[in-house]
Amino acid sequence: MIVVKDLKKKYPDGTAALKGVSFSIDKKITCILGRNGAGKTTLIRILSTQLRPSSGSAKIEGHDIVNEPMSARNDVVSIPQEAIPINYVNPVDFVVLYLSARGMGINEARRRADNAIKRVGLWSVRDKPSDELSGGMKRKIFVAMALAADAPVTFLDEPTTGLDPLSRREVWAAIKELKGQVVLTTHYMEEAQELSDEVIMMESGKVISKGSIKKLMRPFEGMVRVESKEKQKGAVRIGNTYISYVDRRRAESYVIKGSIIKPVTLDDLFVKRGVELES
Amino acid sequence: MTCLLKGVWSLNLKYICMHVWLIGVKPIKTLYMYMISNIAYPLSLLFAVGVLSDGKLLPFALSGGLVALTAANTLVIAGEIAVFRLQNRYQDLIVSTNAGPIDYMIGETIAGISWAIPGIAFYFAMDLVYGILNPYRIVMTLFVSALLIISLASIAFVMASRVKYVRNIWAISGILSILLMTISPTFYPYTYIPKYVLFALSIIPTTPAAVLEQGIFGIAPIAWYMLPILIVECIIYVMIAKWFIRWRED
Repeated sequence: MIVVKDLKKKYPDGTAALKGVSFSIDKKITCILGRNGAGKTTLIRILSTQLRPSSGSAKIEGHDIVNEPMSARNDVVSIPQEAIPINYVNPVDFVVLYLSARGMGINEARRRADNAIKRVGLWSVRDKPSDELSGGMKRKIFVAMALAADAPVTFLDEPTTGLDPLSRREVWAAIKELKGQVVLTTHYMEEAQELSDEVIMMESGKVISKGSIKKLMRPFEGMVRVESKEKQKGAVRIGNTYISYVDRRRAESYVIKGSIIKPVTLDDLFVKRGVELES
Repeated sequence: MTCLLKGVWSLNLKYICMHVWLIGVKPIKTLYMYMISNIAYPLSLLFAVGVLSDGKLLPFALSGGLVALTAANTLVIAGEIAVFRLQNRYQDLIVSTNAGPIDYMIGETIAGISWAIPGIAFYFAMDLVYGILNPYRIVMTLFVSALLIISLASIAFVMASRVKYVRNIWAISGILSILLMTISPTFYPYTYIPKYVLFALSIIPTTPAAVLEQGIFGIAPIAWYMLPILIVECIIYVMIAKWFIRWRED
């Protein structure tokens, strides 16, 4: 269980990355969505005790991350964004190194590391230096780390960024195997749809909505997305395309005008937000 | 004493051992060129001093070479720590575990020094050949080297945790490494320089270490007054590191 209360973060250069974030998470997998600079990574880094908040509080499994970081760390695994395994260390050794940092005995760490590396499908490359592995394999080492640690809460900051569709699906499968709660940030709506029980949407350091995908998509019920080259009332311009949302029953009239009709996806939550901000 | 024991008890020894083994010792067989590059500079200076002084200053080059080798291999960890922090995000990974900054510092320092072990063995062998090594000198040399390593590792950690760009740390540690080995009386008798200059230079940890080594090796008058200077410096640099290292960031 994660409880966050009025968390704020202002960096020394004056950037306000979090402007009073409050929520609680009790679902198995929660995705934090948001555009670049929304405050997702700052939030994850604070919750993982890597970064001190400017004010506010947060509790993980009942441990205050500000005042009891050491207790909270026992319950947390955090895989940073763009983390790269040390290039000359092989996957098993890298997982063992991480587990030993968590205070695990060497034999137990070795046993768990072997097991986790098998589960993520890296057993055949277990002795290879990480440098010789593909991007997807490198990301899987971190997922193996989380599997082996078996912590109550796992934070994954953009775990599949830069991976090809197949590798991404392999990482998803591994994430689904994690036993505790998982909180992950992503830019991929498909990833959020595939994995999450709950979604938290952030923008400019604030939570703008939270709930199940079904709940968040409710405003779009019965609607379709219309993409047009010509300006239309209530449309938002993205590049040289105007996007608007209309009742499915009216879609046909737009097709006649040469517009493209598409089903609404999670992406549209962001686009619609853009429409709202512009209007 | 109780405080020290408490400190040792609270260390994550499992992590320190694994870090030393996996980052320091195990990769040596595949990354041996890195080890050679670390010992190349002190060894080439040993050669140059030996040739230029017609062998007269060779014992100084031998005692100084050991100091230089230790210093170079300690400072070079700054680069690795910066890479681990800024590129690999390894430090972030470790921050949210039970390992603390001291565990990380100790592990990384010993791992860094383990790359110098073949070089240190070479110097000890040369010292033995030249008859300037005995058990007392070995113990004293290890003690002085330990103080030097702790001081320089603290400096390396502070530098590495403050830089924004990895390239800067290579430059800074490279310059520092040359300064530490050439400005300090590492490869020549400390008696060549006026005492006030020597005291001014003693702010650099290699100066008291090199002066002490020359005395311990019996090739210059022993200057015990440098021992408290080195100890105090060591404490000061550790305190600086304690205050200025970025671990859990603000």
